[in-house]
Amino acid sequence: MAKDHVVIIGNGPAANEAAIALRERAPELRVTIVGREHVRQYKPHFLPALIAGKITEHDLFVRPIESYSQAGIKLRLGQEVVDVDFDTRRVILAHKEVLRFDGLIIATGGKPRIPEPFLVFQDVMMTLKTLADARVWIEKLARVDSVLIVGGDLTSVAFAKALVSMGKTVKLMVDEHGFWPLHLGDETRQEVAQRLASSGMELVACRKLKGLARVSADEIRVETDCGRYTVGAVGAFFGLVPDVKFLARSGLYIERGIIVDESLMTHYDGVYAAGDCAQVYHPALRDYWVSIGYRNAENLGRIAALNLIGGKVCAETPPESIFHVEGVKVPTSWWAEI
Amino acid sequence: MARVDLTIEVCGMAGDGTIAAGGLLNEAMSAGGFSVLGFDSYPAEIRGFGRCVTRSRIGTERIFALEDKTNVLISLDDVQSRSRVPYLARDAAVFFDSNPPVYVEEEMSLAARVEPETTLFGFPMADLAAAAAGTTRGRNLTALGGFAATFGVPRDLFVEVITKKFKAKGNKVLDANIKSFDAGYAYGLEHFRDRLRDTLKPLPGIKKGPEKVMLSGNLAIGRGAIDAGLKLYFGYPITPATPIMEYLAAKLPERGGRVVQMEDEISSIGAVLGGFYAGARSMTATSGPGFALMTELITHGVMAEIPAVILNAQRGGPSTGLPTKTEQSDLHAAVFGGPGDSPRIVIAPSDVEECYRYTVLSFQLAEKYQTPVIVLTDFYLDNRVENLPIPQATEREIADANEYPDESVQGAYKRYLMTDSGISPRSIPGMEGFTFSATGLEHVEKGTPNYTEENHMNMTEKRHRKIAGALEDLPAPVEYSRGGPLDVGVIGWGSTFGAILEAVNIANERGLNVGALKITSIFPFHGGVIRAFMNRCSEVLIPELNYEGQLANLIDHLHRKDVVRLSRATGSPIPPSLILKEIETLVPAGAS
Ligand SMILES: Cc1cc2nc3c(=O)[nH]c(=O)nc-3n(C[C@H](O)[C@H](O)[C@H](O)COP(=O)(O)OP(=O)(O)OC[C@H]3O[C@@H](n4cnc5c(N)ncnc54)[C@H](O)[C@@H]3O)c2cc1C
Repeated sequence: MAKDHVVIIGNGPAANEAAIALRERAPELRVTIVGREHVRQYKPHFLPALIAGKITEHDLFVRPIESYSQAGIKLRLGQEVVDVDFDTRRVILAHKEVLRFDGLIIATGGKPRIPEPFLVFQDVMMTLKTLADARVWIEKLARVDSVLIVGGDLTSVAFAKALVSMGKTVKLMVDEHGFWPLHLGDETRQEVAQRLASSGMELVACRKLKGLARVSADEIRVETDCGRYTVGAVGAFFGLVPDVKFLARSGLYIERGIIVDESLMTHYDGVYAAGDCAQVYHPALRDYWVSIGYRNAENLGRIAALNLIGGKVCAETPPESIFHVEGVKVPTSWWAEI
Repeated sequence: MARVDLTIEVCGMAGDGTIAAGGLLNEAMSAGGFSVLGFDSYPAEIRGFGRCVTRSRIGTERIFALEDKTNVLISLDDVQSRSRVPYLARDAAVFFDSNPPVYVEEEMSLAARVEPETTLFGFPMADLAAAAAGTTRGRNLTALGGFAATFGVPRDLFVEVITKKFKAKGNKVLDANIKSFDAGYAYGLEHFRDRLRDTLKPLPGIKKGPEKVMLSGNLAIGRGAIDAGLKLYFGYPITPATPIMEYLAAKLPERGGRVVQMEDEISSIGAVLGGFYAGARSMTATSGPGFALMTELITHGVMAEIPAVILNAQRGGPSTGLPTKTEQSDLHAAVFGGPGDSPRIVIAPSDVEECYRYTVLSFQLAEKYQTPVIVLTDFYLDNRVENLPIPQATEREIADANEYPDESVQGAYKRYLMTDSGISPRSIPGMEGFTFSATGLEHVEKGTPNYTEENHMNMTEKRHRKIAGALEDLPAPVEYSRGGPLDVGVIGWGSTFGAILEAVNIANERGLNVGALKITSIFPFHGGVIRAFMNRCSEVLIPELNYEGQLANLIDHLHRKDVVRLSRATGSPIPPSLILKEIETLVPAGAS
């Protein structure tokens, strides 16, 4: 299938792998990446090291910016897609530009999940998903010495350690989804948490966060079922959810993520979704899966691109492998050590 | 203060307030202590609907020229601004309206065209202006507000210049404009403040600087003429000289002078000669086509030895040519134009401050040497603005420079007396016993016509001797170098010299050994000084904005080998980068 213009929404690993695959396999196509952030593709898993001052922003970037023009990929940064009209095959950008496409790959990844009961505290909690978030943390940590981490997903582990290495006091409140996206039993979760505690952070044993109140710019009063204390910042680490709200009224089928078949195609011809934002059908399981992980996103991006240009590649769930969290071996399928 | 060197463009359609925004930006940055050089370009048609662009270069050090790359683009019309994208520096910042009235196709979108390194600052300029002031007219000020907040320019600097500009229009207008600015400023503070990273940085600790005026070349000429005691201005409108007449029409009558719009350029120069003939400082300003019409009467001034000040604001030619583009292609016409052996003085300022000083000087030169003095500027110099300490002329600089006849010769006065200097003391018509004779025919000392071989030879020689002698009062070439032998010497004149100086400075910072020589006295010129400079240079490069290499033609015989010409007839100023490139190719490999 020869497509004139392929638009890729997103600028993470899924999007970039898709663009590269398209360039390699179908050089006649015009390929445009539209990314909301103002920076080129970076490695999110390095953000904790950046915050700890161990690396510079320059070390985060995946490839030189010139490589895009050299490869003939139009990279549009700082530009957000706010809607897609699948009937007229047009992407609508926040600055009211209309971008026509023949093929579309949606690779918008995930955004931090804030569980319902915590939405009221959203303004006082900080997240860590993007480089912009990391910059805010860096500024904040220049002024505060203690941080409470609630949720305790896997991204927070490296972050918490980075904080400890900076001499900060870290309180960790792990909930029942702790170490997401790994699914750990209670026992394993406790074990991992205990090991973390022994590496210099304090485990908060409470079950309920009753209140968060900003006392001053750099002081937050925390109220839990087992007491009150004050910290400099609170980080919300409850995992990621697909970042697809902007497509809610577009006609796409969306459940946890964008529903796609095993070739990653949506129910619109030539429209694919890949990476953390996709919810993929598994013919053998007769069920859908949502996957989180860097390499996995790259892989799905590549598959979507190949299928868009006429390939017949199936997105398989990767074989189970072993992941080490604090020396504890746990099974994982997508989240990889990178 | 860390070194700042930023080129900022405002681009929009005629009617968007582009030029006003650029002007306010210049004023505010000048008030903030920066050096500013700005240049606006208008639609190609003199009256018309089209793209307007203001370019301002601001810096902590003196700015000599415009850069060819833009660091900040403030777009008031994205379709128009798309044409500016090729001129953006790698890491430019672009401010644009993110909520235009209608959806925009990719082909027409500014955001679609920029490179990924460009940082986009999209914000709803028109909406913010409308919400703040009830009208979208202040959108240009909202755009400036967004820029100011992002780059850390204090609000007060802008509010002050906005107030200065709009207070005459009443509080309502002023208020609406400040509100529009504030809306953009608040938005910028909230959303853009920490978005500048890497090479583009907020401007460091801006404070109010010493008082300077923002002047265009044309305004500086107008002020210079008034300060020099101009009494009579005669002219006919022509781009790019018209603003001089407009300025004088507003200001000269307050000083007891007169501005008369004539029916054409021939009558203008005729009236100027008449004014000076009667003893009143007079001038005219025109551009190439008008200047061509004046040449016959200019040579009348040469023959009759009557002072005149003629400003030729050059534009693209020949003929009607490119009225709104710049060129330095009237040098031949200024130096040689007209019938006969007709020596005259031609001077060419190279920046706005010199526009003032050379205009002042031209009156004394005209009086002392009893000759038409042609001041050569060009569109780029006339219309560019620079901020400078308020220029002032001393009593000496504006003093009467006429050499009047001695009382002792009353009754035996010879208007064209042979003297060593060639200057014959000049009476003013009406001085009893000093009968004034003015004739375009060849004449003897008394002024009566005479065509003998010997007389014509003598009188022609006298007129040339007189003009050659003017060299002692003409500004000498100025050299910018470390001295000693130079790998490349770059010689320039007029508006191009700023770019030359910048290129030479960069070349020297890069370890090359090059120098620049500024020539402002075009005729007569300081041949000895120029030759001495050339002798110290392995290569001589002459960049100028014309195809023929007109300055090079005038002086290349002074060099022992061919000079290298960088002659450009593009209608646009030569960017320093182009001169630098040429310098680098001329420097022998390995030389430093
Ligand atoms: C701190 C941190 C540490 C991590 N560590 C690991 C690890 O060790 N191992 C591992 O396997 N995984 C890790 N991950 C997860 C991994 O980074 C993600 O699974 C992966 O990046 C997903 O890739 P993606 O391309 O699907 O989406 P993303 O990387 O999330 O990229 C989505 C892109 O889409 C853009 N976007 C979103 N919406 C729009 C829109 N409307 N318009 C335009 N652009 C839009 C976003 O700005 C972004 O550029 C980590 C994640 C974080 C945040």
